[in-house]
Amino acid sequence: MSPWWIVFTKELRETVRDRRTLLMMVVVPVLLYPVLLVVGEQILLFGQRRLESYAAPVAIVGEAPTELLALVDSSGTLRRTTLSQKPEEALRADAVAAVVVLGPQVEGEDTRSVTLLYDATSDQSLRGRREASRVLDAWRDTLLARRLEARGLSGSFARPVAVADSSVARPEEVGGYTLGRILPLLLVVITLLGAFYPAIDLAAGEKERGTLETLLTAPVPPGAVVIGKFVTVALIGIVAAALNLGSMLLTFQTGVLQIASQVGLDVSLPVGSVVVIFLTLIPLAVLFGALFLGLAVRSSSFKEAQNALTPVYMVVLIPAMLPLFPGIAFTPLMALVPVAGVTFFFRDLMGGDARLFTGLLVLASTALYAVGALIFAARAFGSEAVLFGGDEEGAEVTPGPWWSAMVRRGRAGRVPDPRTAVFFVAGVAVLFFWLGITLQVHLGERGLLASEWLLLFVPALLFVRLAGFDFRGTLSLRRPSGSGVLGALLLVAGATPLAWGIGWVQTFFLPIPWEILEGLEKLVTAETPGRLAWLLLLLAVTPAVCEEVVFRGVLLGGTRSLAPWRVVLLNGLVFGAFHLSFETAIRFLPTAWLGIVIAWAVLKTGSIWVGSLMHLLNNGTIVLLASVPALQALISDSNAPPPLWVMPLAVMSLYGGVRILASLPEVGDVRQPLTSSEDS
Amino acid sequence: MIRFQGLTKRYGRLTAVRDLTLEVRPGEVVALLGPNGAGKTTALRCLATLLAPSAGTVTVFGADAVREPLEVRRRIAFLAASMGLYERLSARELVTYFGRLHGMEGPALEERVDALVDLFGIGEFRDRWCGRLSTGQRQRVSLARALVHDPPVLILDEPTLGLDVLSGRTIHDFISRERARGKAVLFSTHQMEEVDLLADRVGVLRRGELVAQGTPQELLEITGATNLVRAFLALVGDSEGGEAA
Repeated sequence: MSPWWIVFTKELRETVRDRRTLLMMVVVPVLLYPVLLVVGEQILLFGQRRLESYAAPVAIVGEAPTELLALVDSSGTLRRTTLSQKPEEALRADAVAAVVVLGPQVEGEDTRSVTLLYDATSDQSLRGRREASRVLDAWRDTLLARRLEARGLSGSFARPVAVADSSVARPEEVGGYTLGRILPLLLVVITLLGAFYPAIDLAAGEKERGTLETLLTAPVPPGAVVIGKFVTVALIGIVAAALNLGSMLLTFQTGVLQIASQVGLDVSLPVGSVVVIFLTLIPLAVLFGALFLGLAVRSSSFKEAQNALTPVYMVVLIPAMLPLFPGIAFTPLMALVPVAGVTFFFRDLMGGDARLFTGLLVLASTALYAVGALIFAARAFGSEAVLFGGDEEGAEVTPGPWWSAMVRRGRAGRVPDPRTAVFFVAGVAVLFFWLGITLQVHLGERGLLASEWLLLFVPALLFVRLAGFDFRGTLSLRRPSGSGVLGALLLVAGATPLAWGIGWVQTFFLPIPWEILEGLEKLVTAETPGRLAWLLLLLAVTPAVCEEVVFRGVLLGGTRSLAPWRVVLLNGLVFGAFHLSFETAIRFLPTAWLGIVIAWAVLKTGSIWVGSLMHLLNNGTIVLLASVPALQALISDSNAPPPLWVMPLAVMSLYGGVRILASLPEVGDVRQPLTSSEDS
Repeated sequence: MIRFQGLTKRYGRLTAVRDLTLEVRPGEVVALLGPNGAGKTTALRCLATLLAPSAGTVTVFGADAVREPLEVRRRIAFLAASMGLYERLSARELVTYFGRLHGMEGPALEERVDALVDLFGIGEFRDRWCGRLSTGQRQRVSLARALVHDPPVLILDEPTLGLDVLSGRTIHDFISRERARGKAVLFSTHQMEEVDLLADRVGVLRRGELVAQGTPQELLEITGATNLVRAFLALVGDSEGGEAA
């Protein structure tokens, strides 16, 4: 018997004996959803019937003709009442459902104004408005018919065009479309939840109970352990999703839902589509299973893993929700987006217009991501640092909560650990997002200047000072060597045009709205020397100091204990994410690229001054290109790529910079551990 | 035979075990003594192939822990203080599971499991989930699990930690019996009575270094102490166990 199979059968046996898993796999899909749907619908219908069971009280203010009063009285849905208070107060107090305010009938004027008052936050008032509108429309039609008749005109005179619409979609297509809006997200969530608890239990739970140690002393290759566990988690995810899919379809198709039948929705799905959906769920479950397993094993307890995985769960939901938003097309590129591709494909399958090519792209890309996640999980299980808490780079363990390091004083020579540094940057980013935007809204460019210095630079210095970290070590305050500066100059000379190129390529997938482009151009363009100096201070000097202190200072200094590629990638991604806003998603890739390049240069030289110089040159170049007439020709069209001749030079310059910086001697470790780890 | 040859284990700047050289022969029980953080668990984990040495070698009957980890695992039983039992497997299922992982199957495995069930008096709770067993019962299942493949080497990391006297005695009897069967036993402990009762030889670790080894009597002679507790204190001084950076 193969070792992985032995591990798998044991894990499966234990997992199905776990009440939490059973709850998620069987109870929720098979019982809870149908019951919730039916009960929810009944409550909804009950509420509707109750609302419609009596006539809505309506008050009429102004001189009302008897004809209108008769229409109200004969409607059956409205009941006339009088006001004992002001109309607004009566509406707010639910004393009336709607108030019809009739304007005076002015002699010689054909139109009489009528205002319908209602409370948009009250169901009763909304119904009152609907019914009152109906009566008022009927009154208007009566008056119109009388006028036409008086002039000897036919009823169609006032209706020169008769508009009618008719959907070409068949009922089952409409049903599929409706289902495609709800079910894909639900399926993804259920697959995810199905894998969530087993992954935590089989990885972090096993570590917490001490069984992993015992298991790994059996003659079983680590790969077999990972595969056994992973197949269990993925299988649970698939079964949970399949049970949900079946349960939901049965609930809809058996007609127990009255609303669906009332509105003529046919929500049956062809067997072929169901099979394809199920097949697509397999790589998705594999992806979730491997991802969660690889993440959960990094936690030392069930609870810790639960805390660590919950944000991942939330992040995964974002692409899963994309098909719910109007106007986002299912392009081949979208098919490559993890999770989003699957939900879009499910939507199309349910709507009956899925295409083979995009379907294959979704399957292939999801399978590829799943393999990547599996490698990630296997590496985690193969790392003694992950399994037994050692750290190849340094065994520091910060006792107590992360912020406890911030209140310690007098520990010169120390630097923050990665977690503390990341938390600091996250805190600063939140501060910058809320307070910074407020400052910028009220003070404009001065607000931007103030937010950079007050919300980035000052907090970074306070953080280092108050937590007792070493300034020099944390902020990489070293004088760079001549070669270091030369390498950095070449690097940024290559990286800046390439960032431009990246931004340009990105426009093929993510078009930049014209008004944003215009706004950005306006921001960086100076018409006078004074304005140019101001822009250079605002957009080049300030970020080169303030942002560098945060990102290449605290963040890089705190994460230096990680593997170099992780330090650099993390730095770039966080830097890119920091520059994200609702309007400037387009800046993410170019900024992340620059962040990566600058972080690597600072890591190699050990000097933040190099980072500041690169940042200054990059931003300064953009301002100068936009403002100096002689250079403006280069960017006559902001949406165009960089001039072709620039690119080979940029690549050569980048290569030269990389060569020089790579040849620099290793920077001595200025870091000292916060604490010592204990071995028992 | 267990052989540590110049074993060093570093975690970055921290050295948990430094240049440890120690042997445990068949039919011999060796105790590893040391304060918290002295490196006992790290040394045992290197032996159990859970950690890779930074320098030096660890071998079990000639099999190298780094080059032939699966072979080493076939020759050892590792018993941690946590016992490492699966909560939702019955006692019998658990022992059978580890038997399968060791390549056993069919009637031979069933016979072996039955024998262990009898040997450790597991019969009356054999079909109860491990999560519902008492500490003493768990301890017995854990021993049966470790012995299912009848390895020549036993590694026990603080085996009596948190156990009452009766359960502790079960462990002591177990170690004595396995020694009599010619097994090489290496265990870590803080209990001096346990060392006195069981150990043929003792290795004392301090800040990752083996500061003394010999029979209990030899340790008394080296230190001039009248009992093992005093001898231990004399050897480790006021060490709090933090390793040298």
